[in-house]
Amino acid sequence: MNGLWRDSGVALAALVLLLGAPLAFSSPAFEDFIIRLSALALFATSLNLLVGGSGMISFGHGLFYGFGAYAFALLMQRTTLSLASAVLLTLFLAALVALLVGAVCIRLKTIYFAFVTLAIQMLFYSVIISWVSLTGGDQGLQGGIPRRVIAGIDINQQGHLYQFCAVLLVAGLFAMRHITASPFGMTLRMIRDNEARAAFLGIPLWRPKLAIFVLAGVFAALGGILASLFVSGAYPEFADWPFSGQAIFAVMLGGIDSFLGPLAGSAILLALNDIFTRLTEYHGLVQGVVILLFALGLRRGVLDFLRVLPGRGEVASR
Amino acid sequence: MKLEVRHLTKRFGGVAAIDDVTLDFPSGSLSAVIGPNGAGKSTFFNLISGALLPDGGQILVDGEEITGRSQAAIVRRGLGRAFQVAQFFPTLTVRENLMAAVAAHRGQWGDLARRFPPPGARTRADEIAAMLGLAESVDRVAATLSHGDQKLLDIALALALEPKILLLDEPTAGMGPEERARMIDRVQHVWAEQKLTLVFIEHDMEIVFRIAERVAVLCYGRLLAAGTPAAIRADPAVIAAYLGTEAPKP
Amino acid sequence: MDLGALVACFASPACVVTQASSGLIVGLLLFLVAAGLTLIFGVLKIVNFAHGTFYMLGAYIAYSVLQATNSYGLAVLAAAAAMAVFGVAFERFLIARVYGGNVLMQLLICYAVVLIFDDLVKLVWGADFHAMGMPEAFQRAPIFIAGGVVPPFYAGLIVLSLCLAALLGLGLGFTRMGKIITAAAQNPQMVAALGINTTALFALVFGLGGGLAGLAGALAAPVRSLSPGMGFSILIESFIITVIGGMGSIAGALLTAIGYGLLRGFGTIGFPLFTDELIYAAMILVLLLRPSGLFGREIV
Repeated sequence: MNGLWRDSGVALAALVLLLGAPLAFSSPAFEDFIIRLSALALFATSLNLLVGGSGMISFGHGLFYGFGAYAFALLMQRTTLSLASAVLLTLFLAALVALLVGAVCIRLKTIYFAFVTLAIQMLFYSVIISWVSLTGGDQGLQGGIPRRVIAGIDINQQGHLYQFCAVLLVAGLFAMRHITASPFGMTLRMIRDNEARAAFLGIPLWRPKLAIFVLAGVFAALGGILASLFVSGAYPEFADWPFSGQAIFAVMLGGIDSFLGPLAGSAILLALNDIFTRLTEYHGLVQGVVILLFALGLRRGVLDFLRVLPGRGEVASR
Repeated sequence: MKLEVRHLTKRFGGVAAIDDVTLDFPSGSLSAVIGPNGAGKSTFFNLISGALLPDGGQILVDGEEITGRSQAAIVRRGLGRAFQVAQFFPTLTVRENLMAAVAAHRGQWGDLARRFPPPGARTRADEIAAMLGLAESVDRVAATLSHGDQKLLDIALALALEPKILLLDEPTAGMGPEERARMIDRVQHVWAEQKLTLVFIEHDMEIVFRIAERVAVLCYGRLLAAGTPAAIRADPAVIAAYLGTEAPKP
Repeated sequence: MDLGALVACFASPACVVTQASSGLIVGLLLFLVAAGLTLIFGVLKIVNFAHGTFYMLGAYIAYSVLQATNSYGLAVLAAAAAMAVFGVAFERFLIARVYGGNVLMQLLICYAVVLIFDDLVKLVWGADFHAMGMPEAFQRAPIFIAGGVVPPFYAGLIVLSLCLAALLGLGLGFTRMGKIITAAAQNPQMVAALGINTTALFALVFGLGGGLAGLAGALAAPVRSLSPGMGFSILIESFIITVIGGMGSIAGALLTAIGYGLLRGFGTIGFPLFTDELIYAAMILVLLLRPSGLFGREIV
């Protein structure tokens, strides 16, 4: 049980630090960063549930991020649901979509699974662009997100949005941590390492795979909801491939074998992007060079690298 | 648990990889399956364990037919198997490998309510590791183990499922003399302690004639002969087809 | 959806010719790009997400060479040659470092190259759209076939592409190198075991793929506007072509690309809005029902 205590302690400390920070110093830039980080980190960590945790390479995970953003924004605009209800309904709908997509795709071999998930995401993207009356097309969803005040929390104020995102970030990560640290998470690791052997231990492979696909989709959608709140709407870019590429980079950069790797990678990536865009208009060039340095030089994620450093030799994935 | 094979046949294209093989493995026996390369020994194991579907014949466990059942179902029935190329989970430690297998066996593979490992899994995993002489390596990542230890881990994983029948596909393949002796010692130990019905494929005749109670000889998919080691050693057909004049003397 | 207009077009030979020719050049240009992509995947098992960059650079290089020398032929050759070299360099210095590793790492490297060259192009040529314009040799009166309008450049492009396709097919089927490439696409380990220099082979395949994509870019330049983002859409389209046609199959790429081109060509009349969705849906269906593609082989 000490794993549970340790993780709870870390989560609590993080929450205290994050919620307490605005009391210690006032920095809209910091709050802005944390809000953006929470969306990306939830998305990247959910992607790593599939990629690092289960060996399921999905190229189309952005589908759920985009779906979460659009579904939530549309629900808020077109219904009178409360914030909490809209969030829950969006997550439920995302789970349904993930169930449907997963049910047809799970059985495909690795590379084909990657291709078909990409194709489904691109289909979704093109529908968003085409269905102008519903989604605003390539301009993004117009109209903003109506004010909702729940229990004194007004998400239209940055301060409150910050707290909302901080809480959801910690809670979301804690929940995903619980998944990876459970026997179910271990089963996924077995499937990743040696599917045939796992099958021979009596595990019906499709069930854990479909389950994690759905869970990963739900957490990605949660990230999308936060993104939607941040931009007060939704943009097609959320479901477009370059954004998925950023998430993949965040996961690889932070460490595919460390639970907090995607979080670390997301933070580094956002920070670097902020710096690059301020320095030069050719930030794509700079980011590309950084990626190459990372992929060819460091070769493994930062947190993975740090764990191996003390010369412990091969370290099992956590 | 008794294993019986009746008129088992498997064809690939026009070739009969296993051709009308009938064999009995009484409960608690230690048997060896030998034969030249390509004789169909691994195919034979694949058919029994459910990895392949037979084209004809029956496979029975304690009189109950298991022919055509899925691998998972056959595993549940009590039949375990280790592979020619050791199959395990390379990024996990030895202990984690075994705890995960134990948890899967106990139906806890989908458990989301608690942290891993479930209660009792660690104790049981350490027990199995000790049985196979892997106690010192439990914290090592499986990929870093020696080849011999990896083969032992493969067997340990099979044992985690508490089988009553165990099939070992060339347990000493690729090993030097020391590792081989250690493996065979462990295999015998496990067989006696767990009272298993154990069948192993082997090329090392010295081992076969030393520990096997019964020997079956496959050649081109057919059963050439079956009986005690002494009988097999003296069988002229077997000598002609396989043993030649190099059969170890008693 | 305007099915009426579509039916009317089919009834008129002029319309059919006009739409078919514009559809064919779309398809054949895509074929040239997709051929390289499918070969690279077939032999190296790498999905070259940077393939659009070869196409883009080919177009820009052709543009500059034409401006400097006023010879379109030279421009096309220069683009193809430059991209062949670039392809080899890309393979040797970048891709070779991540063989056998995580496919996501390979993806990242390709993505990085796309980012870098999209910006480099902006730096060198500017971010604005460029138009190469029709080269002098093709500034003639359009050809009339059955009443339909076919710009001479289109006709030239169609003939050239079909010749290249035939050459490629013959080359792969009948030359020693071609047979090695085909064999490697089916069984890379076997080829290495036979003592064939896989290092050289892989570099060659990437060079060929790059050259074809660069050539396609140069050929597309007169009829497309040049912009830093032009690589991305061609990448997606050619990726879809190779998946549907079958990874590793030149014939599959050709047939699918032509089919796609014609769909686009006639689709602009009948159903302009949904061609994107249709093609993605087709790709999904193929992956679900016959993952190795219409003409591809099962990937082990």
